[in-house]
Amino acid sequence: MEGSVRSVSKTSVIISYIILISYAIATLFPFTWALLVSLTPITYTDAQGVEKGINIFDWPPRIRLFPKPSAFGAPLTFQNYKLIFEVVPLYKRWLMNTIIYAGLLTVGNIILNSLGGYAFARLNFPLKNFWFTMFLATMMVPGQVTLIPQYNLLVKYGLVNTYTGLFLPKLTNVFGLFLMRQFFLNFPKELEEAARIDGSGILRTYFKIVLPNALPALSALAIYTFLGAWNDFQWPLIIMSNKEMYTLTLGLNFFKTSYYTYWQYMMAASIFMTLPMLIIFLSFQRYFIETGKAVAVKG
Amino acid sequence: MKYKTKEAIVGYLFATPIILTVLVFTIYPIVAAFYYSLTDYQPLEARKYTYIFNPYDALEIHTGILRKEARNYTIDEMLEYFDPVSFVEIDVGVKLGEEEKKLIKEYFDSLNLLNDYREGKLPNEIKIADFMKRYMYKHGDRFTKYIPRFVGLKNFKDMLKDMYFYTSFWNALLYSIIVVPIQTLLAIILAVAANSKIKGVNFFKSVFFLPAITSSAALSMIFWLIYSKPGVLNKILVALFGRFGFQPVDYLNEPRIALFAIMAMNIWSTAGYFMVTFLAGLQDIPSSIYEAARIDGANGWQIFWKVTLPLLRPQIVFVSIMGTIGCMQVFDQIYFLIRNLRNITISFYIYKNAFEYGKMGYASALAVVLFGVILVLSLVQRKIIKEEY
Repeated sequence: MEGSVRSVSKTSVIISYIILISYAIATLFPFTWALLVSLTPITYTDAQGVEKGINIFDWPPRIRLFPKPSAFGAPLTFQNYKLIFEVVPLYKRWLMNTIIYAGLLTVGNIILNSLGGYAFARLNFPLKNFWFTMFLATMMVPGQVTLIPQYNLLVKYGLVNTYTGLFLPKLTNVFGLFLMRQFFLNFPKELEEAARIDGSGILRTYFKIVLPNALPALSALAIYTFLGAWNDFQWPLIIMSNKEMYTLTLGLNFFKTSYYTYWQYMMAASIFMTLPMLIIFLSFQRYFIETGKAVAVKG
Repeated sequence: MKYKTKEAIVGYLFATPIILTVLVFTIYPIVAAFYYSLTDYQPLEARKYTYIFNPYDALEIHTGILRKEARNYTIDEMLEYFDPVSFVEIDVGVKLGEEEKKLIKEYFDSLNLLNDYREGKLPNEIKIADFMKRYMYKHGDRFTKYIPRFVGLKNFKDMLKDMYFYTSFWNALLYSIIVVPIQTLLAIILAVAANSKIKGVNFFKSVFFLPAITSSAALSMIFWLIYSKPGVLNKILVALFGRFGFQPVDYLNEPRIALFAIMAMNIWSTAGYFMVTFLAGLQDIPSSIYEAARIDGANGWQIFWKVTLPLLRPQIVFVSIMGTIGCMQVFDQIYFLIRNLRNITISFYIYKNAFEYGKMGYASALAVVLFGVILVLSLVQRKIIKEEY
């Protein structure tokens, strides 16, 4: 907060609070509402033993916190989060597919982008500038252009509906390469030079000196890759047509087409797939925000 | 070994994985997309030789001679029941052009095939391409590789007559024109508010970041609920404005409103994310500049327009270019929420052509045009923002 050491009038502080609080409410409201619906049972058997259908479009929503949290005339429950695994037995599989996809992609990206980033930041090799310019140029091309030939390539080698087909084309990422290169460019050269004078080879220096010091950049890259893969929709949509191979985002689409009257399930599935990202975000917040800044300053 | 040589070897060792993946999965596809855009590439045609079939089943159906009884027949008897063209077209299931039919008539080795059938020498499963290579005297490779027909600029000319091309392109453009300025301005306002000696800045940052970490699929589902006709948004609006005659709106099914509803959702989900970018920029502006402006008698409004905004130029360029690139390609939300063709965007239309209509040549041409437009837009944007300040 270095920049804010200046006289700010009281009214502007109040206006600022009003703006921030109202936007925070606007941001949180859709999530809160979805959460509320996801916690509402589909039917509810009341004290008299009468089973009632619950209408989540009832108005007012009759939200009560005491004596027991309830809404729409039924006590809140986590059962929908269990039920989505039962009504759609493949849901477990989709969760696993998503973890495999995001996990493999993250591992691949942190290893290969950091190797590449180091090579382009520190090592001299023939045609280095040629490759680098080529990478820069590819960043301008929208994904829609490469999508169709990528798909055809995977069809040709029988990789559609396989994990390999899903993650192989995304195993490296030019943005990730630039992020790592930038990090290594700012890395103090003295450390590597000292290691070299001590007789350490390039490989040894990289793995023993450079990599351990690159953890912050690697973590940021890992988080962004994982998040991107977890939330990815279009690529799995094209590559995975076999229901067994769906990811969670395709699963949501399945809920939307097959369970479209069961709002409670759909909201439970939506919130369920958001929770892991929320946990990652809250645990590694500074990486998110720092990377957001670093990327922006370059632009 | 000299250090320089070692460095070059290790350099390539490190850089090869990314060079290879970029070559195979980005450079080749870019070249291929430009090539496809000049052809009538049809994925179903392309795949017709890659299917695997069982030649025994196909021959049993075609000749009516069961596999185990084949030995009771002579080759000449079998030949009477066999016609290579209809065999390949109907029983193997490959759609044939006139020229292909002629080649089969002339060069298909029926004798050899029936002999193998009789002796049980056929494999139980074979790719059509391999089968054709095996049983054609000549021109077998004509049936192994799909070569799309070169049509020149036909796809681009077709676009000019395609109403959905105009609609979807205009929608993407309109989407960018509305979303980018509003989300940028909103992000700046939020950042300025958060930069004025406020407690709990980190709390606000985290809250505003929340939509950015949520998948567009989940956000679409949530907004599907909120935007539905009996949904909570209408309930609140009726409660507030019902007495002024407000009627519930079917946001996503009303073609005049649906796209704007999605724009609002997009602004909501990205403004907070970009706010973090602007906040970082604001915090880098030295406070002495503001003090100097204040001493010169500038009020808060003037300071915002004359000091803050110009100093945020790098961030504004970044956010608006990133925003435009993202908006021109908006897909997920459209796929989830738009049910009428009047409201689709170009990337959805590309998807539909390529993967639903089976017109990959045309879809590639659309993608090439999208590429050109995005390129021009980002150059223009860079220039405009540079000149204004």
